[in-house]
Amino acid sequence: MKIEDKLSLNKFDIDREVHIRVDEEKCKECRLKPCLYACPAECYVERGGRVVFSYEGCLECGSCRFSCKKGAIDWVNPRGGFGISYQFG
Amino acid sequence: MEIIVCIKPVLDPDLPPAKFTVDGKKNEVIPPEGVPFVMSPYDALAVEAALRIKEAQGGKITVLTQGTKYAEEIMRKALAMGADEGVILSDPAFEDSDGFGTAHVLAQTVKKIGKFDLILCGRQAADWDAGVVGSLIAEYLNIPVVIRAKSIEVLDGVLKIERISTNGSEVFELGLPALVTLSSEMGQVRIPSGWGIISAAKKQVPKWGATDIGTDPSQTGAAAAVNRLVKLYVPVYERKCEMVTGKDPAEAAARLTEKILAIKP
Amino acid sequence: MEKFDAIVVGAGPAGCAAAYTMAKAGLTVLVLERGKYTGAKNMWGGAFFGPVMGEIFPEFRKEAPVERFINRHIISFMTKEDCLSIDFKSYHGDEGSSPGFIMLRAKFDRWMSTKVEQAGAILATGLEVTDFIFDGSRVAGVKVGTEEFPGNVVILTDGANSLLAKKAGLRDDYKAPDLKQGVKEIIKLPREVIEDRFGVSGSEGVVMEFVGACTKGLPGGGFIYTNQESLSVGVVVQLSALLENNVKASDLIEDFKEHPSVRPLIRNGETVEYSAHLIPVSGVAMMPRLYSGGILVAGDAAAMVLGTGLILEGANLAMAAGIAAGNTVIGAKALNDFSALALSQYESLLKESFVMKDLQTFRRAPHFLENPRIYNDYPEWTCAMMRGIFNSTGKARRNILEVVKESMKGKIGLMQLVGDTLKARKAI
Repeated sequence: MKIEDKLSLNKFDIDREVHIRVDEEKCKECRLKPCLYACPAECYVERGGRVVFSYEGCLECGSCRFSCKKGAIDWVNPRGGFGISYQFG
Repeated sequence: MEIIVCIKPVLDPDLPPAKFTVDGKKNEVIPPEGVPFVMSPYDALAVEAALRIKEAQGGKITVLTQGTKYAEEIMRKALAMGADEGVILSDPAFEDSDGFGTAHVLAQTVKKIGKFDLILCGRQAADWDAGVVGSLIAEYLNIPVVIRAKSIEVLDGVLKIERISTNGSEVFELGLPALVTLSSEMGQVRIPSGWGIISAAKKQVPKWGATDIGTDPSQTGAAAAVNRLVKLYVPVYERKCEMVTGKDPAEAAARLTEKILAIKP
Repeated sequence: MEKFDAIVVGAGPAGCAAAYTMAKAGLTVLVLERGKYTGAKNMWGGAFFGPVMGEIFPEFRKEAPVERFINRHIISFMTKEDCLSIDFKSYHGDEGSSPGFIMLRAKFDRWMSTKVEQAGAILATGLEVTDFIFDGSRVAGVKVGTEEFPGNVVILTDGANSLLAKKAGLRDDYKAPDLKQGVKEIIKLPREVIEDRFGVSGSEGVVMEFVGACTKGLPGGGFIYTNQESLSVGVVVQLSALLENNVKASDLIEDFKEHPSVRPLIRNGETVEYSAHLIPVSGVAMMPRLYSGGILVAGDAAAMVLGTGLILEGANLAMAAGIAAGNTVIGAKALNDFSALALSQYESLLKESFVMKDLQTFRRAPHFLENPRIYNDYPEWTCAMMRGIFNSTGKARRNILEVVKESMKGKIGLMQLVGDTLKARKAI
């Protein structure tokens, strides 16, 4: 099962305010790109050597912020009421 | 300005399609477990419109909702947004009413409250999308109604309403009392503040039943329903993709035209 | 502006237990939860152990949305092609005496928070606490954006990612080696199918834990829990191991579902949810300061997770700590003293309870459980041994001891085995 199909099963109230900001300039200098392996929702993908991040499928686990050694990830929770809402948990 | 707003709990319209299932035998929607219902977003617009009027010229907002399980939750939400009072209409006799029955219950409630200048509703409920309750309440109360408003102003006791029409919008002026239903074009609905939630949690919300508001038993409940649900199902959309090619764009376009013409409506 | 006796940040097990304890004692309590509804942001594997739930909510067994009571544990070592299991069934008495049960968080948290509201606390959902109000160095309430909520004490139960614990000066950020990442799918199956496949009936339930190939040999494990009409299927892996080995948990769970010993159990099931969470697993070694002036911290935010081997227990510790925090604030309120000194009572209560006792007893377990042999060599060895025992090649068979020796060759040294066994004795 592909990750997009899995995420499409979840309920998200997507805020227009972005809660995780990634400084993709800093990512250019990063060789290992551990964020790609940290995110269980695969919100971080590599395209043409660049890290591309989208916050819409974020499960708010926080893994990415512990993965980045370059300080490129500015992480907070989404505003109250927004983001993932689990039905089962 | 005495404003009455009618709100309804609905299955969260933002649920992913995979979570929406129906019981085709019972003709019922099966609500996914563990996901609370929400205030119908159109009704939230009605609450927002009431708050904007109140902020502009003062007044009192009373919110009505009918239902059992999630009525309390959406009522708290409306109060948290800034409504002053609420009444929950709850009686076994009201259950399984259709739009006509619901409008009867709400109209009777308005009569019991007595004093009002303006009634606001959502243009339709975000579950069944019938969009009849607002107009029927107005009918039962014998007051004018404007549906699908995108903006609403009160100037010297006169309502000025811009409403969405098929080709654009129309502007109406009418006297009070009146009923107006609100459409999404009205704009953003406020998020309740923390202190709003706290003060809402402390408010008493009375529950009124059939005897309190004097409903006619022959007009509520499943037996009185005018509408009959014949079949409930989730439509299946099939998508087929066929790549049309040719040795050059002109040939591909010609073939595509042939295919389109071959499709019988 | 109204001032609350206590403000609880986060309506999970720790927060609800604290709020319930205080509200029942007549304190004014505000619970702030960032989810759209309680439980919206929370996930766990699904099993809860111990009597603490019944102590705080005696009516729990009758009322709470329990999926199944655990009466069967299966522990499995798996390689890519093999799976060796220990299957323990227990039929002591009825569900009422089962020491563990399986629940889903969205339902359970909602039930618990209703209890909290009924006890008189105010629950406000959809509010993300962003900062504190400080009175000098003492915490004097919280902020949600520009809104302020004054309180005598703030109880911080906002989970593993608590940015607030850091803001309050109670701890630094957790580190990747101290965290495990859990991913889980809810897979829907008819009740009868679950009962047939897992050999249970009525409200009986199964907890399955897997070690080995399910994490590609990285520290962690796989799990399957039976709900009433679904399975919770997931993988838990040390976060730093994922990063160092370029492995994604989202791939591991797919492989796990495809393993020949798992695939038949979930066959024809329909995935209906995918979730992920971090778990702080290093116990006392990563624990923050638990209190300061006007503030207490409990649950995952304070790394109160007990790893004794295969199962990670957090919610029962969180609830016990929540109760202790609640009782501390009740005491502080009686004396109208919310200083760090007065709140130090919390740590004393925890030390007397099973929370700190268990975390102390198993303080070596987190380090021991990082031993890669547990996840690679031992599953390989034990499965190779079983293969050897059951293998009929047409040649003369060797005795079992020789099979055991043969299966260890090149994989595990005898001294290593003895060493690990001794360490295991100390650690778990």
